[in-house]
Amino acid sequence: MSVLLKLAWFFRLEWRRYAVALLTLLAIAVLTMLPPWLTGRVVDAVAERRLALSDLALHIGAIVVLALMVYVLRNIWRRYLYGASYRLASLLRQRLYAHLTRMAPGYFQKHRTGDLMARLTNDVSAVEMMAGEGVLAMVDGVLTGLVVLGVMVFTVSWKLTLLALLPWPLMAYFMWRYGDALHDAFATAQAEFSRLNDQVQETVTGIRLIKAHGHQARAKSDFCAVTTGVSRANLAVARIDAKYDPTIQLTIGSSFLLAVAGGAWWIAHDELTVGELTGFSMYLGYLIWPMFAYGWLLNILERGRAAYGRIDEVLGTAPDIADHGTRRAPQEPRLDIHIAHYAHPGGPDVLHDIAITVPPGATLGIVGPTGAGKSTLIDVILRMREGKEARISLAGHPLAAYRLTTLARQFGVVPQDPFLFSVTVAENIALGNPEASMAEIRAAAALACVDEDISGFAAGYETLVGERGITLSGGQQQRLALARALMLEPPLLVLDDALSAVDVRTERRILAHLRRARLGRSNLIVTHRLSAVRDADEIIVLEGGRVTERGSHGELLQHGGWYARMFRYQQIEQTLEGDVT
Amino acid sequence: MNAHHAPLRRLLAYALADRRLWRQALALLLLATVADVAGPLLIKVFIDDYLVPAQWVWAPIAALALGYVILQLIAAGAGYQQALRLNVIAMNAVQTLREQVYAKVVDLPITYFDRTPTGGIIARITNDTEAVKELYVNVIGTVVKNSVRILGIFIAMAVLDVRLMLICAVIVPIVVALMVFYQRWSGPRFHRARALLSDINARLHESLQGMRVIRLYGQEVRFQRQFTAVTEQHYQARLANVRLDALLLRPCVDMLHMLTLAALLFTFGFQSLDGVVQIGVLYAFIAYLGRFVEPVIEITQRLNLLQQAVVAGERVFELLDTPNIEPMRRADLTARSGGVRAEQVSFSYDGEHEVLCNVSFAIPPGAFYAIVGHTGSGKSTLANLLLRFYTPQHGKLLLDDHPLLDYPDAALRQAVGVVAQEPFLFAGSVRHNITLGEDVAEADIIATAHSTGLHEHVQRLPQGYDTPLDERGANLSTGQRQLLALTRALVRRPKLLILDEATAHIDSHSEMQIQAALQALHGEVTLLVIAHRLSTVERADRILVLHHGELVEQGHHGDLLTRAGVYHRLYQLQALSEALP
Repeated sequence: MSVLLKLAWFFRLEWRRYAVALLTLLAIAVLTMLPPWLTGRVVDAVAERRLALSDLALHIGAIVVLALMVYVLRNIWRRYLYGASYRLASLLRQRLYAHLTRMAPGYFQKHRTGDLMARLTNDVSAVEMMAGEGVLAMVDGVLTGLVVLGVMVFTVSWKLTLLALLPWPLMAYFMWRYGDALHDAFATAQAEFSRLNDQVQETVTGIRLIKAHGHQARAKSDFCAVTTGVSRANLAVARIDAKYDPTIQLTIGSSFLLAVAGGAWWIAHDELTVGELTGFSMYLGYLIWPMFAYGWLLNILERGRAAYGRIDEVLGTAPDIADHGTRRAPQEPRLDIHIAHYAHPGGPDVLHDIAITVPPGATLGIVGPTGAGKSTLIDVILRMREGKEARISLAGHPLAAYRLTTLARQFGVVPQDPFLFSVTVAENIALGNPEASMAEIRAAAALACVDEDISGFAAGYETLVGERGITLSGGQQQRLALARALMLEPPLLVLDDALSAVDVRTERRILAHLRRARLGRSNLIVTHRLSAVRDADEIIVLEGGRVTERGSHGELLQHGGWYARMFRYQQIEQTLEGDVT
Repeated sequence: MNAHHAPLRRLLAYALADRRLWRQALALLLLATVADVAGPLLIKVFIDDYLVPAQWVWAPIAALALGYVILQLIAAGAGYQQALRLNVIAMNAVQTLREQVYAKVVDLPITYFDRTPTGGIIARITNDTEAVKELYVNVIGTVVKNSVRILGIFIAMAVLDVRLMLICAVIVPIVVALMVFYQRWSGPRFHRARALLSDINARLHESLQGMRVIRLYGQEVRFQRQFTAVTEQHYQARLANVRLDALLLRPCVDMLHMLTLAALLFTFGFQSLDGVVQIGVLYAFIAYLGRFVEPVIEITQRLNLLQQAVVAGERVFELLDTPNIEPMRRADLTARSGGVRAEQVSFSYDGEHEVLCNVSFAIPPGAFYAIVGHTGSGKSTLANLLLRFYTPQHGKLLLDDHPLLDYPDAALRQAVGVVAQEPFLFAGSVRHNITLGEDVAEADIIATAHSTGLHEHVQRLPQGYDTPLDERGANLSTGQRQLLALTRALVRRPKLLILDEATAHIDSHSEMQIQAALQALHGEVTLLVIAHRLSTVERADRILVLHHGELVEQGHHGDLLTRAGVYHRLYQLQALSEALP
């Protein structure tokens, strides 16, 4: 129940809807008590042979009017109560989404996409259920139950009520038992199904091995064992599930029998009429729902509590990069990098003793073996990560002095993973400037050497990218991502190993374009292919998080270190790759 | 609807497989229905013959009570047994279907797996069959059970009073019409709400994956706005749906129920004005009225699932009907030696780009041959051809002087062993991963494991050969996993052993162990080692050098080095890369 207190903010927000829903539910509970009572009066009149047509018409008319009233009221509470719960789901989704856009990359490394998705989908549904069906089960279940009991006791007979309800506690006990057993059996069935899933997954991914070892027959018989397990577990669920109907049937059956037997006894003693007995039997039927509601409610609350806890955890995590800057965009984007130490939270140092200045209009090349810290360095420069002893300043002011959106305008980044959205090619290129004209988009694409490719697609720039559209090659994706960055004409262009899937000849063309188009603006180029930084003003070699070599291409070749060795290696490799027949 | 008939009929055929079980289930259903329907009849007799006339004759009253109790017990027991049988029928049907699809998938050629996304194949065997299960468990069972029930109730009502029965019967077509109308009307609206929800989820998924890019381009606010807009639309769509639901579903059916009661009461009361009526009849009718409305609703709602199940079934059958033409094999053929010959073999995956081009070589039985080449030279493709995962478009591959294509599957798998780059391990013990479930003598396992050097590692495991492997063998090092894969291949005593980059990612100690094991096999087993690392192949009898799909050089390590060709350059690359960290 305490979990409902956590939703108090929402109940306050939507108190009108909840108030209307509760009042209508109460009205329904009272109004539905009348038809059995009216029926009982008609039956008594018939039994005592004193029924007049006008009397009959009056009673029937009343039932018809009641039916219509209840219909209207039932419409009302559904709209209000479910409407409120849908509102909650919508609100939670929006809040979670907005919150997640404020989180830095580190957060998404800790939380897998699937896990976050589950919180925004299943968990939100579970909480919605709590605010809708949960409230219904609690209020209406209890309300209806009390009203029916009250009516039975006070208008018919407390003795008959007591007698007829004798089997009910027994049913409640069995229901509770089944519920528990069903829960366990269901968990087993789920586990068996995921075993089936695992086995299929293993087979499909390992199909070559299975075939190479002639393992097919064995795999099939293993699979039969698994499906047998699934069937057995599902039947165990069915065996418990199938007990509900007979149990309810027996309870109600015996309850009716007791009601009729006891009713007959009291009718014989003139303490009851046949009509009252008829009405009473109808009331008994009304008690089934409250019996269910209670168990259902517990279930909903249990799921809702766990789900709300997970949602709260996301909303409660403060963004690790604060956004309090106020400075306007700088005129001269001079970049000063001073990193004494940088480590990921709780991890060892990734970067040490890095001091570089990138004057406006200069190009810095960053190279080094895999795992040297190149991408982390870029993240720190972009303020995607922060460290106390990693001081980056832009035009003489620390990055934190700028708003994050202002900062984003300064850098045009082509990340390692050229993530494209499932929208058109044009919209992907214009990501940073949705108002861009077609001419600007095309110009950027031409610079990135992807214009020709795009023009070759059936729908040109309107071609959809991604699952519902076309699949682009790795090189095309990278060039699109480059066009997206160039579109912004950023003061600082950052290429984070951004052309790895582009062939050498196209890379050369792109670099030539960049030299012309970005005259007087700064570039940071991280690359594995050393030919890409040949013309850089300065190149640093990062190894184990430190700068081990720095200088121009010529100087580094002279130095005879990692750079020189790698350059030779790539030259020979090119001769092996180059002479395509 | 017509197009759905064929798969539906085929799906039903699975459920009808066990006629005996069906006969039992139907007999039990009939029994349960009769017993269930007879209950109110007995109460009617009691009310009209004994209660109203105040005839307190104890013997027949006791008989009636006893009969009522017995009928209730029969109804509950038979109902339970019948439900179980329907479940068994359903589970058997889905199990059969699953095993068929799985067997089909395992036997499909590798090319199928290249063309078809893994996720799709897995979904066919798991999720789609699960959707079909709904048809068997929920649709068929419910329709059969409820139809019989409704019929039984109407027969009982007709026995009591045909006129009153007809009044009740009116509600059936009205409810059915209501449901049909509702489904027509709500179908597109619900579809819209569902489409919006999947849009929300798709956006969410994409945003979570592309959050870095969204931040880099400062587009958080725009994406939040878009997301909020879609969630608002979804909210509005659901509000509209709940209004429609409330208008046409529960509240409406409840109202109809109450109006029928009014009609029943009116007719009954009207009859009583000019004749004698039996109050018990009314009592029984009221009891019946609550019992047939629910089943009618259930049937119409479950029919919704039918559509989904048929669509899923169509997908399953499409996979099941994929032609799988097994070429003619020579049943008696087995390889006595591991000699391999390639005669002008050319191969292309896509029919456009040749991956292997006119490759010819001959490996004498027991020899140690190596294939080297730069990335993309076609080395692994050659291994795939020898494993018969693909068939070359031109030329011939021969094993022991017989075309590879002539060998029956089992004989080929017996003769050719393989250790791949990624040792694929199954969930199970070390022993299971060596034997793959076949009968292998313990002494053989240990002797082979000794020869590969696996034994010493296994002995250090907590339960030796019975140690269960974690997912994908995470509790073993890469080197240990490779030793295990080698043991697995050798325990089958292959004539030809292919190592496809088997030592690419392992530590030098494990590599030395593998080297030693290979050396010991020299002369007994034909060895074909595909390697990137040249140290592995220096001792080979002969090295085949592939370059862009062509066999450009062959000879002994020493010979090849003296020529300034591809091998020489590969060797230089190797030397340089060892100097690079």
